[in-house]
Amino acid sequence: MLYLELLFQGIVQGSIYALIALGLTLVYGLLRILHVAHAALFTLGGYVGVIVTNATGSFTLAMVVAMITVGLIGVLTYKLAYEPLLDKPPFIALIASIALFIAAEEVFRIVFGPYGLSYAQPPLQGGFEIINGFFLKYAEALVICISVVMLLLLGWFSAYTRLGVSWRATVTDPDMARAFGVNIQNVRYLNFFVGSALAAVAGVLVALLNNLVEPTMGSVASYKALAIIVLGGLGSIRGTLIASMALGVIESFGTIYIGHLLDRDALAFGFLIIVLMVRPQGLLGSK
Amino acid sequence: MLKVDNLSAGYGDIIAIRDLSFSVEAGQILAFIGANGAGKSSTLMCLMGLVEQKSGSILINGQDISTTTVEARITNGLAIVPEGRRVFPDLNVHENLIVGGHVTEASIMKSGIDYVYTVFPRLAERRGQSAGSLSGGEQQMLALGRALVSQPKLLIVDELSLGLMPKVVDECYAVLETLKQNGIGIILVEQNTERALSVADEIRVLEAGNLVWSGTALDAKNNTALTQSLMGLS
Repeated sequence: MLYLELLFQGIVQGSIYALIALGLTLVYGLLRILHVAHAALFTLGGYVGVIVTNATGSFTLAMVVAMITVGLIGVLTYKLAYEPLLDKPPFIALIASIALFIAAEEVFRIVFGPYGLSYAQPPLQGGFEIINGFFLKYAEALVICISVVMLLLLGWFSAYTRLGVSWRATVTDPDMARAFGVNIQNVRYLNFFVGSALAAVAGVLVALLNNLVEPTMGSVASYKALAIIVLGGLGSIRGTLIASMALGVIESFGTIYIGHLLDRDALAFGFLIIVLMVRPQGLLGSK
Repeated sequence: MLKVDNLSAGYGDIIAIRDLSFSVEAGQILAFIGANGAGKSSTLMCLMGLVEQKSGSILINGQDISTTTVEARITNGLAIVPEGRRVFPDLNVHENLIVGGHVTEASIMKSGIDYVYTVFPRLAERRGQSAGSLSGGEQQMLALGRALVSQPKLLIVDELSLGLMPKVVDECYAVLETLKQNGIGIILVEQNTERALSVADEIRVLEAGNLVWSGTALDAKNNTALTQSLMGLS
């Protein structure tokens, strides 16, 4: 029973990782920029989720508002911070991204206060029994469901719509995509909107699981998401999903069995180091 | 159909082609010949709006497209088969064709793809296969097919025969011949001078970005001095 419980905890955590890391992979795949500030959008999603839920009482509305506002702010981030740096070496954009992330954390502290926000009446706190003696919280079940739905939607969009196919073509060869009339600029906007909206979903869900959003909520997420996309083989979406789930499950079991030696976050990086020693290109990356 | 006057183009401060004028009629094949770096590919890319145009005009059926977007040029009937094929390796054959029809109406795209599959049955067989796993010849067919999805009036073809087996090249040129008979204008750049002289109606020779010889393919063939210097290029 403990195994099953740990497995489910791992999948819940892995789903959150996947939602965050996907946006990072999308940006890296398209622009070769390590978008560290992505984790700030995840935090912002959490704030918007809590504030809108507390103001309106509707968690669903909060989710939608968080996705749209954070998605748009993601596009704005690209427009203001990255677009002017595209012809510079990628590490310059990386430095800008780190600066933006630090600044964002300070802005959250100033605007929303240092102690964080909580749901006035946290929704979905009950649970249900899956098999005798094993309970799953509604909130945790929601995390898994929403992640699956989001990923299926994204998969459907990129494989079965004309825009989605052109998006993938742009990632492989932007110049050629342009030769067939694909508007590269719009693809980049779309990319940032989708990636940021997914991070916002993760933020709202994490705020729900912990019933807390604080200014530094994105710190751990930022470096762990970087580890995940390296693990998945930079730019590979399937690799990112597998790495997210693997890390979630390994952390979940590891904390119980070797938690006294390594803490949760150290485990993640131990796993990263071991995988990269065996497969330097990541789980699904090409050499 | 296409009329280009005094076209100059380049990259930043570098001028790749100077004061180029030429025209192509429906059902006509015009071939550019010249050494590497003569400006052939730059000319083609400039027509598509992918290389910065410095001066001159490009008219399609009387309409100036010099300042329009790539999208508008495709809508006006242009499409390109790029040098080195440049298929999207991660996408499957069918998806590559969908990108070819990115700006066209869904119905035109659909009939365009059906047409490509009848012209190249081998692509239809491999429609679900990733483009990166195709042979060089199949990739060239896909690159050609991808350009045909938007049902262009003027096809721009860059180095069709490069690195391909003669049999595949024959197959691709047979398709160009059919297109020409269907009234499509074709501009091509071809390293293989013999091939260019045999399929083209009109020949333009470029040297360091300048037009140095123009005339019909027949004139070119009869001009021994010219053909000898051209053969030296291939």
